[in-house]
Amino acid sequence: MTATLEQPSLKRRSKSAQMRKYGFFPGCVAKESCKELFTSTMLLAERLGIELVELTAASCCGASVLNDTNRDVARVLNARTYAQAEALGLDDVITICSTCTGHMRAANKELLESETHMGQANAILGKFGAKYNGGVMVRHLLWLLIDDIGLDALKAMVVKPLNGLKVAPFYGCHIIRPESVNGWESSRNPHSLEDVITALGGEAIDYAGKTRCCGFHIQLEKEGTAANMVGQNMRMAKDRGAEAVLTPCPLCHLALDGYQADSAARWGRTDLPTFHLPQLVALALGVDPSLLGLNKHINSPGMLLQSRNLAPAHVA
Amino acid sequence: MPFTLDIYRYDQGVDEVPHRDRVEVDMPTNQTVLDALEWAKSEKDGSITFRRSCRSAICGSCAMNINGTTGLACKTPVDTVLRSDNSVAVDPMPNFQPMKDLVVHMDPFWDKYTRLKPYLQPRDNDSDNERERRVSPEDMKKLVAVANCVMCATCYALCPVVSVDPAFAGPAAISYAFRFIEDVRDSKRKERAAQISEDYLWLCAHCYACSYCPKHVDPQDDIIAVKRATIEEGMLDEPGPRHALVVAKTIKKTGMLHETEVIQGTVGRFNIKGLIKVAPFGLRLAMAGKMPPMFLKPVPKVDEIKLIFDTLEAPVQA
Repeated sequence: MTATLEQPSLKRRSKSAQMRKYGFFPGCVAKESCKELFTSTMLLAERLGIELVELTAASCCGASVLNDTNRDVARVLNARTYAQAEALGLDDVITICSTCTGHMRAANKELLESETHMGQANAILGKFGAKYNGGVMVRHLLWLLIDDIGLDALKAMVVKPLNGLKVAPFYGCHIIRPESVNGWESSRNPHSLEDVITALGGEAIDYAGKTRCCGFHIQLEKEGTAANMVGQNMRMAKDRGAEAVLTPCPLCHLALDGYQADSAARWGRTDLPTFHLPQLVALALGVDPSLLGLNKHINSPGMLLQSRNLAPAHVA
Repeated sequence: MPFTLDIYRYDQGVDEVPHRDRVEVDMPTNQTVLDALEWAKSEKDGSITFRRSCRSAICGSCAMNINGTTGLACKTPVDTVLRSDNSVAVDPMPNFQPMKDLVVHMDPFWDKYTRLKPYLQPRDNDSDNERERRVSPEDMKKLVAVANCVMCATCYALCPVVSVDPAFAGPAAISYAFRFIEDVRDSKRKERAAQISEDYLWLCAHCYACSYCPKHVDPQDDIIAVKRATIEEGMLDEPGPRHALVVAKTIKKTGMLHETEVIQGTVGRFNIKGLIKVAPFGLRLAMAGKMPPMFLKPVPKVDEIKLIFDTLEAPVQA
């Protein structure tokens, strides 16, 4: 541990939280195939009265794949991103993807815990006049909702309660595991998504699949394996009575929404509509549903939302 | 305070379906789940069957499912897992065929291990060496964590890929591949990398379920290192390494992971059959109005990103 570095503790109230102004790292998927996640995040931020300052020159976090080719490159790329946040006077980098969260936190941990790693990163960053001082904390929007907004305040902001909508939480591995990197809540028994679902007036479905893997990272490795992982998890959720799924990760969203059609042959039809975290929160907080990209889902949530008087079917 | 063990009971030669027995255990809850099972067997029902030997997390025999998650019974105090109804459920490890009660058929797990030829294969003969083969502490350091593996199969039981595709080697076998690939005395780096690739090394889903290793081996890091070794050994003609290298290529070029190019680069641009197979997924995305962009504008200051790749000599797809 380097003595000169400021070690951001998990529960410390960040400067960003006090200013209600955060560094924002949307990640690649929210800018490419899941643009509705980006849009709904910005609309939710507006409703919450917080400012998300997008780090537009940031690179990909490494997506858990870059480590397979070189052990240093993802860490240094992330140091560059943190340096950009520091230069803007922001000490919080907010993510909207479980994989970004886990891998950016892992890189930050390595940088903060090793002078060698920090030295290596800053030697390269120095070539273009940048420097990372170790003052950034990486957090997911989910944690911001609970730590900085608060569940009671969130509940008080609800104008369109979910009317008992039965929602299965799906965490996405990298926001909970490994605990040595994330550690914000128990990885075996997390309940932050359940807490948010309940605060919004929904009913959280408990099932074993909620902390399991969606298979996204191996969708192209071998035919059928990822789809089977999706089917296995969605079957469990459906059997417990879930009507929809809520995930803080766009990679999980792509897999869960995209592969239920393929998994039906082995696991039976599940057809569960899957929401991005900010979509469902924004909906309950009264954001116009037609702006949330609810029509960009393969398993349409239209009929379900209409049945609970949450949105007219045609906007989804 | 007494508590209840809720035990999975099954005998492959006798029972068509498993059933459960609830056994009242009269012992303090600061004892381990294994202590409770031993008490139940000696005081209540001698037919309760489970594997155990050392009782101190060294032999790796007593891995089982405890309240739905796998771990060593000898390392799990009852009071850390006691459910609200004052009971603990014990089940055989998932991803294995049950044999009797908590005992499972371990053969698939051992098979994947033995396929690796898990013994040192040095370049020279023993007779060529006057003394033992020396290894520097530095070289030995990276093998210390995996040396702690007791082959309890907890990681294999927790692996979601194994649960749907038993062809996958599983975390422990890949850690053992790492153990020999990274051993400076071993001469079969390439052969071992080829063997573990054949056993679907690249099917690891990066889920970190194996981070619950009771001996803190953390196979995930070993898996990543073995993947790098296969790339270094030039085994590039598979979806896995193609995927890793094309992801690196697009990040270096644009700063972003460019989804469209990654899919083409992983499947193979000229692999028409492969592209047709992924087409339904792409079509579904397109119909939902979420087609990723064909071309991607590089992020501002992308030259800085290129410089990082070049300085670190990070490989990318050609």
